[in-house]
Amino acid sequence: MDLSALALQLLSGLSRAMMLFLLASGLSLTFGVMNILNFAHATLWLLGGYLCFSVFQWLTQAGGLGSWALVPAIATSMAAMFAIGWALERFLIRRMYGRELPEQLLLTFALILVIGDLIKIIWGTQNRRLPVVIEPIEMLDSFVNPYYFVIIAAGCAVAAGLWAFLHRSRYGRIVRAAVYSRDMVSALGIRIPTIYAGVFALGVAIAALSAGLFLPVMSIGLGMDMQIIVQCFAVVVIGGFGSILGTFVASLIVGIVYAFTILIWPEGALVVIFLILVAVLIVRPWGLFGSEQRT
Amino acid sequence: MTDRVAAILLVVTFLAVPLVPGDFAVVVATEILILGLFALSFNLVHGYMGQISFGHAAFFGLGAYGTALVFRAFKGAGTGVSYAEFALSMLAGLPLAAAGALVVGYFCSRLTGIYFAILSLAFGELIYHVVFSWYGFTGGDDGIQGLLPPPWFRDPVNYYYFTLAVVFVASAVLWRITRSPFGYALRMLRDNARRAAFVGIDVRLCMLCNFVVAGAFAGIAGSLWGPFSRSVSPVLLGWMQSGIPVFMTLIGGSGHFTGPMVGSVVYTGLNAYVTRFTPYWPLAIGIVILLLVLFVPGGILSMVEKRAATRSGKGR
Repeated sequence: MDLSALALQLLSGLSRAMMLFLLASGLSLTFGVMNILNFAHATLWLLGGYLCFSVFQWLTQAGGLGSWALVPAIATSMAAMFAIGWALERFLIRRMYGRELPEQLLLTFALILVIGDLIKIIWGTQNRRLPVVIEPIEMLDSFVNPYYFVIIAAGCAVAAGLWAFLHRSRYGRIVRAAVYSRDMVSALGIRIPTIYAGVFALGVAIAALSAGLFLPVMSIGLGMDMQIIVQCFAVVVIGGFGSILGTFVASLIVGIVYAFTILIWPEGALVVIFLILVAVLIVRPWGLFGSEQRT
Repeated sequence: MTDRVAAILLVVTFLAVPLVPGDFAVVVATEILILGLFALSFNLVHGYMGQISFGHAAFFGLGAYGTALVFRAFKGAGTGVSYAEFALSMLAGLPLAAAGALVVGYFCSRLTGIYFAILSLAFGELIYHVVFSWYGFTGGDDGIQGLLPPPWFRDPVNYYYFTLAVVFVASAVLWRITRSPFGYALRMLRDNARRAAFVGIDVRLCMLCNFVVAGAFAGIAGSLWGPFSRSVSPVLLGWMQSGIPVFMTLIGGSGHFTGPMVGSVVYTGLNAYVTRFTPYWPLAIGIVILLLVLFVPGGILSMVEKRAATRSGKGR
């Protein structure tokens, strides 16, 4: 195996890591802030992808935007998913705050069934992928799709943006304060329900970004949400609940390990991921970057 | 009280099912019984020990594969298996599931709450992916097909009676366990683990034992599954399968011994009948589950209990 093949594999691992990060960051936020494990997160990701696909198709038919229609398509699907996320939190998730974990599982599982079936009714059972043609560029003695660099850049930008939002902006500080003392924040006259709805909707919108970003290089279809959600949990748990930095590092680990194991032992790639997860949970149950106090 | 009434009603109903003409009712009832036992074993960990085993399907699946692998070994030459070989293969599921539960439980019993849930989920997925990718031994995602039991068991009604007998005995043993000193020790460490430790209960050992027992009973349910559906596949170990006992227990009510079985009647029955009438069954079932979660917290049995209490004027 030569160096350029390894570099290519690293590139594909990195872009996979970005997809996992974009999905898992929403999951980690909703758990960190509201203590809700949202099993339907990947199904919302799927819905965002399908929305993006339809908007893209409509745009390319209407105007001569060509491949650039991807940008407004992603923006529209993110806005739509933000609204859907807000509504979901407002009408369903909100009722689950005092409930136990299994009940949350039951509710979000019902959402998986309902949303999955709605997707089937609207878009049918075909897999979808965007027909965006990108000229490969030559580097490291082989051809590379430059779009991978776009994905990696976007992932890093979102990670940096989220971190800055949570640590530097006023709203981010309120969100972090709400994690530690909901009552105190509420007593200071800040509307906790709005904060929660906003965080949930933000997580869902980032998931839509993840789906839209990957549509040109990966086809999505029904049932993918079930496989991807467990890997997202692995990422969130390895990184530590509620930690953006942890989620980022964990998605890099999972993405890169996956990309390289697939070269050596194709069937066992996911086995290795879950071995890592089990090992982390046994040694450090609260994750690499989480804090020990949370139970 | 509610439990006794529910148990008697369940037994009478299950005995009456073969009177319904056609095989459909019997097949659905067999599925209800098998998954109900699976859910009962889950509730040993959830209702009595207060932890959530999210990877419980691993033990169901190990039981199913244990039976299926021995079955396949006997079948070898293409002739059917004899009754003795069938019995042997049915017995193979339990020890395999219990051994799996011993390893998983050893690590899980150190944790509680969400970490317990996630570690069991992680182990479940690990075992799932091992079974899924080990083509040479487990058949990978094709699973193992052609698990045709000996002639007497091929008739759906006979297999139903066999399942009913096994599930009845297993449930009785489970019931006895929950009423034993061990069962009360479990309730105590669920409510206050520290106090239980002060009284001299070895909390970790108790949790581990209970986890192994629960895994073993899930294994029995799994063993019944293979010859019933004539095949096993890795899906039986996945997290979706692990969700099933959680849903059943919540729908029926985790605070009652019979709750998971009642939940299985509702969930499996609903699944079977709705799938028959509409291609959009996930939508229909999803909406029913949503309504149940939102408006019947604590499960059907506790709602019935409350109603009965208000009617008789006692209140709660």
